Amino acid sequence: MLSRVAASFYWLSRYIERSDGMLRMLKINYASSQDTVQEFTWEPVIRIFAGQDEEEETGKIENNSRAVLKYMVTGKSNSNSILNIITLARENARGVQEHIPKDLWQCLNEYYHTVKEPRLEKALQREDPIGVLDVLIKQVMLYYGTAEITMERGEGRSFMNIGKYLERAIQSVDILDAKFGSIDDNPNLLTDTSYWKHLLLSLGGYELYLKTYREGFESTNILEQVMLNEDFPRSVIYSVNNIQRYFERLKNDSNLDDYREMSFQIGRLQSRIKYSSVKSIELEGLHLFLTQIRKELYGIGNSLNEHYFANS
Amino acid sequence: MQESAYFDKYNPINGVWDEMYGADASVRAHYRKVIEYISGESADDLNKKEELAKRLFMSQGITFTVYNSGEGIEKIFPFDIIPRIITAEEWAFVEKGIKQRLTALNLFLKDVYHNQFIIKDGIVPIDIIYSCPHFLREMYQLQVPYDIYVHISGIDIIRDHDGTFYVLEDNLRTPSGVSYMLENREITKRLFPDLLPQCGVRSVTEYPTILYKNLLALSPRQIHNPTIVLLTPGIYNSAYFEHTTLARLMGVELVEGRDLVVNNHKVYMKTTTGLQQVDVIYRRVDDEYLDPLVFNPGSMLGVAGIMGAYRKGNVAIVNATGTGVADDKAVYVYVPEMIKYYLNEEPLLKNVPTLQLGNMDERAHVFENINKMVIKKTNGSGGYGMLMGHASTEQEIEDYKLEILKDPRNFIAQPTISLSAAPCYMQGELQPRRIDLRPYALYGPAGIEIVPGGLTRVALKEGSLVVNSSQGGGSKDTWVLGALEVKGERLKVKGELKTQEGKGERLKAKGEPKAEEKVKAESLKPKKERRKQLF
Repeated sequence: MLSRVAASFYWLSRYIERSDGMLRMLKINYASSQDTVQEFTWEPVIRIFAGQDEEEETGKIENNSRAVLKYMVTGKSNSNSILNIITLARENARGVQEHIPKDLWQCLNEYYHTVKEPRLEKALQREDPIGVLDVLIKQVMLYYGTAEITMERGEGRSFMNIGKYLERAIQSVDILDAKFGSIDDNPNLLTDTSYWKHLLLSLGGYELYLKTYREGFESTNILEQVMLNEDFPRSVIYSVNNIQRYFERLKNDSNLDDYREMSFQIGRLQSRIKYSSVKSIELEGLHLFLTQIRKELYGIGNSLNEHYFANS
Repeated sequence: MQESAYFDKYNPINGVWDEMYGADASVRAHYRKVIEYISGESADDLNKKEELAKRLFMSQGITFTVYNSGEGIEKIFPFDIIPRIITAEEWAFVEKGIKQRLTALNLFLKDVYHNQFIIKDGIVPIDIIYSCPHFLREMYQLQVPYDIYVHISGIDIIRDHDGTFYVLEDNLRTPSGVSYMLENREITKRLFPDLLPQCGVRSVTEYPTILYKNLLALSPRQIHNPTIVLLTPGIYNSAYFEHTTLARLMGVELVEGRDLVVNNHKVYMKTTTGLQQVDVIYRRVDDEYLDPLVFNPGSMLGVAGIMGAYRKGNVAIVNATGTGVADDKAVYVYVPEMIKYYLNEEPLLKNVPTLQLGNMDERAHVFENINKMVIKKTNGSGGYGMLMGHASTEQEIEDYKLEILKDPRNFIAQPTISLSAAPCYMQGELQPRRIDLRPYALYGPAGIEIVPGGLTRVALKEGSLVVNSSQGGGSKDTWVLGALEVKGERLKVKGELKTQEGKGERLKAKGEPKAEEKVKAESLKPKKERRKQLF
């Protein structure tokens, strides 16, 4: 497979996964903004999903839900808006059009045209935003379903899945870091059940949590589920296991050295998380721990660039 | 037949060959089934079909992107739902004519890059060749596989007011549009279910298979699975959709210049498992951008050293570089002579009478009659940089004349040709619009093959004669009917073809005294009323 094609698969998939995480986050946060008595702040959401450079601009809108939605979904100036990342995803897909099934391309193309549709922006401002976000979430689900059914089980899919799980792991780490970081400023949140409930809802882990833990919302339990539960599809360990799983499939006689180096890197990260416990993480300091994991995840992205995408 | 509301409202353009509307105010036999079919549909239904076509193009991403103020706008190439229909007899003639012409053009390329007999024998003047920017010294004495230079061509064919076929341009470099031939057909199948088999329309789906077979045969390495790639300028190219379609249909790798690297006169592509040698390159990058070491040094689209690998015979390039010398519009004038010279045959498809502005007498004549002329750049394409005399202001004409005088060799003039018209569905009714035809000929070791069909481009603006997509043109599906179709009409069509052969304009013979040429140009328009129509 061409290095450029592999890189496009990887990035295409990262952008789609990012849009998925963002849309769910926006939806739950909007719902929660309807539920609060005090002024609702979008600051953590913006911090997780918008680039650093935009922060000045967003300071002004962080209490205005509609303005945030506009900025995050159809904002042209926000390089991480759904509109911009889906445009990028589509351009990556265009570059590898003959490698992806036609169905998948059409699906992505439709997603793009849905986001671009001027009516969507209007509806986001005037109508029920949850309905609009649901339309977009459905597009992502269609994409994943189509990919699952039509994508050839080969190298391309491995790169796609590595991109998907890498993005997801980074997102979960970022979300944990932001949510637990806010507690330092505002200790009252620690006992605020709706705060934790919304965190779980935005990760789709609410039901699993209720089944696993019977003693109500405890921050340590939430940390355990999002970091260490191997059965929770949005947990960091689940994503890293999958990165390892799909990376293993890239093993090939002609690039053994590259493979070994990266395999070592991924294995080290996997063990680091697997052999941690909530206790050991707290002992180490959560923020420090998350910062290290994030650095390792970025390291995997850089190594792919160097060893597989001929971008060194 | 006459009960059709669509047909009754149809107003053919006076003095123009209409593909559907026969001389006796009736529908030509080969169009009858289609007209019958759409007569059964209300304007609402047809509008829905038009909508469906647009949606299909959009959702399949058959679009090109126009970049405007930093934002990409997706556009579809306008598509008219009414097919353009060609009878079996008409097609047989066109096919034969293209094969003959392409054979001669290919022989010309071989000759001009080797022994140059045609120059030595005084058929084509030497200065026309050497002044052509697409004549590449790099190709001199280079042996190309099977002596084939033009593997893929898209010769543009038009019809005059009496239905005679003419060649407007030979596109021998990297002709585009074939994906629209394929996609238009797919969409027509959805729009008019069951109609295609009823009419006996011949299939065009063989195209990618034939092309792939030809590419495979060119591999310099005798191995069972050579690497064939399609080289694209990238996703920002307006024909990018076509590149991906062809790569997908042939199952070959689509590469950009940055994916390839040359080492030791061999071309490799960079893969996730290291370098892999490339054997055949179907390139959609123009000559001048192909190799920054040889041509335009600023090109980021090409591959450094690729021409070296080509000269060594380590890679096959399709089409060969340097084919532009044969589709230069100043060389076009000599194509009928080439056919006689190389094949000892009379040309079947006629040239449009063409005057070279490099020639002083012809220039004077053109300037006098500029209102009746179309002036084009010899190496231009896409409908850019041409002057339509009848539709230009005095000022535009004066400016253009100055432009010509800077380098007259770069311009030719042709009489304004009255392109044939075909019915198009416009705002609830059928209206005539001007069309041309671009069949795609594939030249492989086994000979020339042309899939029955092609791209019919249509000038969607009322009264417009310019069909180029960059100038507001669109396209139609092109149907070539099988031989068993329209028994009653066959004789009539044959008759038309006969007269067309006999009545054809005499082509300018080379070597005649210059003073006579002006007279010749006049004599190209035999009758007064004809002149009004043709020119």
